[in-house]
Amino acid sequence: MRAIEVCELVVAYRRWFKPPFRAVDNLSFEVREGEIVGFLGVNGAGKTSTIKTLMGFQPPTSGEARIFGMPATDARARQLVGFLPETALYSPYLTPYETLRLYGELHGLRGRTLKAQIEALLEAVNLAPKMHTLNKNLSKGMLQRVGIAQALLGDPKLLILDEVSSGLDPIGKRELRDLLATQRERGATIFFSSHELAEVASICDRILIIHQGRLIAEHRLSELAGRVESLEDYFIRTVQAGRDALLVGEDADATRSQFVASASPPTHAPSVALAPPSTTALTDSEDAA
Amino acid sequence: MTRTVQITRALMTAGLLETVRRKDLYVVLILTVLLTLGASAFRVFGVQGLEIFVKDVAFTAIGVMTTVLTVLIAARQIPEEMQRRTIYPLMARPITRGQLLLGKWATAFCTAGLCFAILALVTLGLLASLGIPLKPIFIQYVLLKLMGIGWLCAMVITLSLYLTPAANVTLSLILAFGSGVFNRLLLMAHWEHDLSAIWLNLLYGVLPHYDYFDMSKKVVFDWDLAPWWVLGAMGGYAVISGAAWLLIGWLRFRRQTIG
Repeated sequence: MRAIEVCELVVAYRRWFKPPFRAVDNLSFEVREGEIVGFLGVNGAGKTSTIKTLMGFQPPTSGEARIFGMPATDARARQLVGFLPETALYSPYLTPYETLRLYGELHGLRGRTLKAQIEALLEAVNLAPKMHTLNKNLSKGMLQRVGIAQALLGDPKLLILDEVSSGLDPIGKRELRDLLATQRERGATIFFSSHELAEVASICDRILIIHQGRLIAEHRLSELAGRVESLEDYFIRTVQAGRDALLVGEDADATRSQFVASASPPTHAPSVALAPPSTTALTDSEDAA
Repeated sequence: MTRTVQITRALMTAGLLETVRRKDLYVVLILTVLLTLGASAFRVFGVQGLEIFVKDVAFTAIGVMTTVLTVLIAARQIPEEMQRRTIYPLMARPITRGQLLLGKWATAFCTAGLCFAILALVTLGLLASLGIPLKPIFIQYVLLKLMGIGWLCAMVITLSLYLTPAANVTLSLILAFGSGVFNRLLLMAHWEHDLSAIWLNLLYGVLPHYDYFDMSKKVVFDWDLAPWWVLGAMGGYAVISGAAWLLIGWLRFRRQTIG
């Protein structure tokens, strides 16, 4: 079964005296149940607009987005989804416990089941000692942990995470990876956007790269392993090539097929300096892990 | 239906906790007590027979504070969620936008209603301690005011979906405090004939009337109880007009991009 289906999705924003700005432009992809998919792109590529549409926050201009076969705008679809927004802010006048209780009750949980889940999740994200401290007195990283805990409430079948590791310290990032691994073992599907390519390389099955709202590359990480120096290297060159192709007006589908058909890096020489590949090096062993 | 009740209750609990911790209510309470005590201080100078004056000051203070608090509480319900982006995890739950709107209205109504009830009780106690009793019409005043608060919350929440927060607060306060002026239209309608009179009557009917829900002057001047059917009719007006406001809000909110 497909957890996510996006078909010829267009999200356009109206502008005064200018043609609408297409943040997402004819985007199509699927995520199968149980997969972990990284959704990559530079700032302004259209990742957050796509995620907003998947969550029903943004009505599509055309095309469609489906969650487990249901339209993304249908509230029932969200019964199966846990979501972590890019900037996790929670009511400053509530405690982490009260915040999770609110979201749990909105999810349809109640009583002892809810209490047990809240306590277990706060324990899992290492916030148990702060569960009765007001959110306004928590650090950004701690609030991100509250966000992660609320996303996991109700054991969702699909996790949609926008910039999941934003604000977390290295220990927090390691704990997050472990937590996501636990979710994977449970059979959850995970779809997440991130600029932390090391994190993507370590936990994803597949990556999607979008640029200017269009899908320009789609690969299983096992296909890339051993064929590119690092994910970071590959990402930069792909985006650069995609940018060049779009600048000269090449057909988006042709651009996409160029990258999808071949796992090898694009022939264009990168015009930007590449960072050392040490942190995001792809090896077979890492990919297998 | 049960699900809507559960969602509304969850939102209300969180909203009430926030209001209590924000401490807005305490400031208003202290101001009202100070105003009433200030008015009663005339007794110190040997001036007697000022019961009506003291009651007028107390009920004017309650009226102004309640209206300002209600507008501020209702105006922040949805825009604040958007500004601090807490709307995302809220709407990521299996709830419809209609349920969120209803839940936010209920939160604003309960919070503002509770603030008013506390203000009214404190004033009642304060006036009693000053030897100024109130007649049973005070109960009708409280009931009518609560209906008005529910109606005002619906109007302000709906306007918050169309206007910026600052514009919403300004317009809502003008409509709430200025609604008494709309009675002039009715007077004008009596002077006009034919189509002009119909238009003025229609305009009078369409304009929001928060002034309908205020019988403080009747409490101040110790009127007898008003007929209960009048309160029933006002309840009907509050429900129909409030529901119409929320419907207008929902029509906008259901397709609005969040964030």
